This record gives sequence, C-alpha cells and structure tokens, in this order.
Amino acid sequence: MTLTQFNLLFALLALVALAAGIGVFVAAPFIRRSPPARQALARLAVPLAWLVAAASMAGSLYYSEVAGFTPCTLCWYQRIAMYPLVVVLAVAAVRGDRRTARWSGAPLALIGWGIAAYHYTLQTFPSLSGAACSPTVPCSFRWVSEFGFVSIPFMALSGFTAIAALLIVGAEES
Amino acid sequence: MSTNKIVLAVVGGLVVLVAGITALVVFLGGGTTDDVEAPPETRPVAISGARLPQGSTSTPDPAAGMLVPTVTGSDFDGDTVTIAPDDGRPKLLLFVAHWCPHCQEEAPEVQQWVNGGNLPEAVDLIAISTSVSRVRDNYPPSTWLASVGWNSPVLVDDDESSVAQAFGLEAFPYWVFVDGEGRVVGRAAGRLPMDTIDAVARGLATP
Repeated sequence: MTLTQFNLLFALLALVALAAGIGVFVAAPFIRRSPPARQALARLAVPLAWLVAAASMAGSLYYSEVAGFTPCTLCWYQRIAMYPLVVVLAVAAVRGDRRTARWSGAPLALIGWGIAAYHYTLQTFPSLSGAACSPTVPCSFRWVSEFGFVSIPFMALSGFTAIAALLIVGAEES
Repeated sequence: MSTNKIVLAVVGGLVVLVAGITALVVFLGGGTTDDVEAPPETRPVAISGARLPQGSTSTPDPAAGMLVPTVTGSDFDGDTVTIAPDDGRPKLLLFVAHWCPHCQEEAPEVQQWVNGGNLPEAVDLIAISTSVSRVRDNYPPSTWLASVGWNSPVLVDDDESSVAQAFGLEAFPYWVFVDGEGRVVGRAAGRLPMDTIDAVARGLATP
C-alpha cells in the first residue's frame, strides 16, 4: 500500500471511530435502560478501546517510522497519552478489570482528547500559534489533509473520543 | 435480543466495516499517485558572496547593511532567475514554504497587494520557494503559487535549501528587504501586515 492509500485508510477509520464514540455518548441513556445492551457494551468496551488505541499507535508509528513524518511537540504529547493506553487496556482486558480500565484509561483519553483538540484548532486557525512557522516541524502545519479536514490530530481526536466513550459509558460499574 | 447476540452483531459488524474500508482503499484508493513522475520543484542554485547571519529578530539585525549574496537559479519552468546585489534595484525577497500555513495566508495577500498596483516600479519582488518536501501538505509549490495567481519571479531553492540558509532564514514566511546598493535594510521572520510591506516598498523606492 502507498502513503496515499494509508492516509485514506486512516482517515476513514478515524471517521468511523469518531462516529462510534459520539454514537456511544448519545446512546448512553438508552444503553443504561436496556440490560442486554448494557451488558454487551460492558463486555466489549475494554477490548474495543484497546483496539482503537492499538490502531492509533500503529498509525502514529507508521507515519513517523515508515512515512518519515517527524512528530511535532503536540504530537508527542498525544503519543504520551495514547501509547500507555495500549498497555493499560490490554492488561485490563485480559484481567477483565473494567474498573481499572475506566479509572486509569479514561483520564488519559480525556487528556489526550484535550491536546488533540487544541492541536487541531491550531491547524485550523494557524494565527493562534503566532505568525511564523519554524523551519522544522511547526504544530500548525498538516502532514496529512484527507477530505480537506482530516489531519493527524483529527485522527487522534477521533481515537480519543472513541476510547473515552467506551470507557466512560461502556466500562462503568453496574 | 440477548447479550450474546448483541456482542456478535457488534463484532461482526465491525469486522465487516473495517474489511470493507480496507478493501475499498486498496482497490479504489488511487495507489499509483505516489509514483507519478512530477516536474522538479527544487533546482540547482549558485551562490556567491558572504552569507547573512541569523538573528533577523535581534535589534539591531546583525545583517543590516551587509551585501546580500548573489544567487543564480531558475524558476519552475527552468528560466533563469537572479538575485544580484549590484543590479541597482531595491528588492523585496519573500521566502515561502508550501507547507507553512502562514505562507499560505501571506502569499495571496501579497499578490492582492501587487494586483492593486502597489508595488513600486523601481522595486523588485522575488519569491523564493524553499524547504520543499514532497510528503508535506500543499505540495507542489508550483501549483500552489499558480493557484494564488503569483506573477512575480520565483526562484526555486535546491534540495538543501541553500538560498534560505545563505540569507539566514529562521522561520517562515521570511522577508529580506534590500536597497538599491544590494545591502540589507531589514529582515523579518513571520507574517507582516500589508501596510508594513507597503511602507517598506515605498521607502525602498525613494532614493
């Protein structure tokens, strides 16, 4: 697969993750009222959140190690939030420990969400980051721009949204 | 619906969705575009004379009063473009990177200013397309500058961004203002208000 194809693949997966995350948050009141749906989401939440984190990590490593995109400072902060989720959620999924997944994973996901949202805002409104680009890797420029709006921080934002939704709504104690 | 059926439906649906997206991307994702041979967006340059030091944001600018280097290169079509300090013409030199969002905002504003007849006849405006990266956003720079209607000369920097280095570039967009004797009047890193550029241009045009 070429870089163009990977960009498209990651962008589409990000949109699916974003839609799923928003969907879970919106459907939360209905899920809570339906015992089978609540139990099903409880069983799936941590493994699915791990899957999203692992795919996000794989994507970020592809961009930096294969495509050669140097991460900017804010990209590194998002990595700091995303990469531990892969380990924390894997252990929690294997142990069936939703409580640990929720109370250690959700804060990381929310912190990462905030950084990704800020990063995406800087890309959308570059003047917020000053009036100049550093010659190396300014946070305001886009390595990827699929469909005109899906950039790497947008992908991270989508991943963090899905993880946060699954852990906050799906992994809550009954 | 039982819990098991919901779990199976969600997992099955996700597997089908991800497999479908992957298949769609592989078969319809335009995989050959990375291999298309494109015209060169960087070209060899010849530079002579003392390089300008960095420090464009310092007061005073350490390059103020220095002769700018002589640069001979070409534009995107291969036609020769020269920055010559001894040609007797004041110059506005604008260094841009196609991927920099501030350059993407600055270039159209400058072009609009030129279209408004504000560039004095005695002053040359030359853009230097530098720091070109094929994997970065808004590539290629030739298409980008054409899309904003850029009609002033463009000097295309080489793969090592030698011209940018020779002029002490520290950030994008980067301005170097040169008087009629080929000496640096001022430099600026970052976007400038158009009224500042207008004032500098008029100042350079007045001996």
